[in-house]
Amino acid sequence: MSQAKYDVEPVTGQWDYDSLPSNIRVGQHCWIERRDSFGSFRSQQDPGLVLGNRVRVYTWTTFNVEPTGRMEVGDDCILAGPVFMCAERIAVGQRVMISYQVTIADSDFHPIDPEERKRDAVANAPFGDRSQRPAYQTRPVVIEDDVWIGIGAIILKGVRVGRGARIGAGAVLTSDVPPGAMVIGNPARVAHEDIT
Amino acid sequence: MSRYLDHDWFPESLPENVELGERTWLYSTYAFRHFQSRRTIGLRTGHDTGLYNGTFFDLGPNGEVSIGDYCTLVGAIICSNGRVEIGDYAFIAHEVVIADTFAALPGILGQNISAASEVHQSQKARIVIRENVWIGARAVLLDGADIGEGAIVGAAAVVDFHVPPFSVVAGNPGRIVKKIKS
Repeated sequence: MSQAKYDVEPVTGQWDYDSLPSNIRVGQHCWIERRDSFGSFRSQQDPGLVLGNRVRVYTWTTFNVEPTGRMEVGDDCILAGPVFMCAERIAVGQRVMISYQVTIADSDFHPIDPEERKRDAVANAPFGDRSQRPAYQTRPVVIEDDVWIGIGAIILKGVRVGRGARIGAGAVLTSDVPPGAMVIGNPARVAHEDIT
Repeated sequence: MSRYLDHDWFPESLPENVELGERTWLYSTYAFRHFQSRRTIGLRTGHDTGLYNGTFFDLGPNGEVSIGDYCTLVGAIICSNGRVEIGDYAFIAHEVVIADTFAALPGILGQNISAASEVHQSQKARIVIRENVWIGARAVLLDGADIGEGAIVGAAAVVDFHVPPFSVVAGNPGRIVKKIKS
């Protein structure tokens, strides 16, 4: 049995990138494996997402961008499997490598206060009125050039990862990482000040 | 023997250097989407092993994986340019990643990207999961991980060292937290 039951172009990078929403700018010589990486892209900003030149985006990558979100990814990045959750701004520099199962979020997407969270749950119900959702906090995430982000790392709102830093597997980041540092663990701590 | 899977949604055949044992079930050849192994045997499994949806073999040219009998991989990603050995009766849960290096990337599909090859060049990497090991969801096993017989790796643990038989390792960085039997 060798006949395709499915249309495989949308999962092998061979689909038409010009078919993306017009507020997504794709640079030259990019390769984007799976079209559905943009299935939850809802940005109303223009541009809502800019991919630089020669960016490689593998099958597990997901761009969950809210109507208010803006994202940019610099030249020569390799994205194996980040899930981006963006309500304001996530900026990824050049030559950044992001491994499997990584989450990068610029908001918690829900309020902290318990009563507000109940209102949030009601507004988010399948037939709820999402315009009634309480406000939630956002703080931009910035990943500078030449950073490597390890398997399963989680980078949360307001974090800036300095140029050339290394984020160990499974590290959970809630505060900035200095340039050139290696951080590991949960909660993340600096293992080496300068690995350059 | 057909190199295509009857139930497959993806139209590719199994790579020639892949051997699946009797009654071993693989959800799809999409698992080999980034498979670049040029070894004589890139993947060999024993009999009665299940490789379910979400399992990927992102092997580099020197990557070699052997998996035993009665193993269950519910959706692990194996990303290696070295050797990965998985013993009989292993159970590997969802979203586990077994990789040579902390910032592992899939094969580069023939494209020469120097930065990527830098993290993907290890040829001596070796990861061993011995018989009857249970690996919890989201755990990460890196080069040097050698999980002893009957041991358990806790959910989301990060391990790059020898774990004694019949012990439990948990946390990030991983540490031995208990013995199951003496």
